[in-house]
Amino acid sequence: MDDKLIKRRRLIMSWNYEKEEQWLNDLSREGLHFKKAGKFSSSFFARDESVRYTYRLDYQTGQARGSAKFQEYVDLYQGAGWEYVSSYGSLWHYFRREWQPGEEPQLYTDRESLIQFYKRLQRVMGIMLLANLVLMLTNMINLRSFFTDRLWAVGVPLIVLYLCLFAVLGYGLWRMQKKVKGLKL
Amino acid sequence: MKEMLPLTEAFYYILIVLYTEPSHGYGIMQETEKKSGGRVKIGAGTLYTALNTLLGKGLIDHYPVPEGTDQRRKMYAITENGKQVVEAEVTRLEELLQVGRQALTQMKG
Repeated sequence: MDDKLIKRRRLIMSWNYEKEEQWLNDLSREGLHFKKAGKFSSSFFARDESVRYTYRLDYQTGQARGSAKFQEYVDLYQGAGWEYVSSYGSLWHYFRREWQPGEEPQLYTDRESLIQFYKRLQRVMGIMLLANLVLMLTNMINLRSFFTDRLWAVGVPLIVLYLCLFAVLGYGLWRMQKKVKGLKL
Repeated sequence: MKEMLPLTEAFYYILIVLYTEPSHGYGIMQETEKKSGGRVKIGAGTLYTALNTLLGKGLIDHYPVPEGTDQRRKMYAITENGKQVVEAEVTRLEELLQVGRQALTQMKG
């Protein structure tokens, strides 16, 4: 087995986490196994042709890495046969287990817990949207001069930047809402 | 207490398994699969979410891990409240079953 880690980049939005799982599982089939989440959408892989894993992503809030609660969380998943691989921040956690033909192991196996999962994602996106809205408004008040004297150099690009951010977050919220609705009777 | 009903299958099985004896997460998963003849499989995420909810509502509690066993495997036990909830659920299910059976036999006449 080669110990050198191979870096790959891919930008995947959090509402597309299933696509990321798919990507990791496809690479694992080819012998590239995800080891570590890096900054700026980079991921690190180890090559080993002799194994194949099924990867799953989990999203949890309110448990900082290294805390007792986090340890309890990882222990429970490990007890259930999932190897803890890596985390992205304190929110996204990567687990894997050896691939078995004909099996598609899931972390969430009922509607209720999946809805809660999507709502956790939604809540964080909602908080980010609100926080940025407040930030934008305070910026606009504090940097009034930019909007009068340097409107095109600073004011307009700043607004465009914020609008893009709101659009992305808003789209994410809407996608999650659709998922939740699809699960409700 | 009534607002907990109906229980989801996962909640129901977790409480039923713990009703007999305290267990750890993996034990709950295995026992659920066994009791349901392989039909109900509780995923790790679903179990973790459910255990946290049940702990929060006081239907289950942490249970001391026995000496000499893996200390990382946290144990859970049902509380008095938990027992009451699962007993109420069994009564509710019995009623549903009885009404359903009656209707079916009437129709088959």
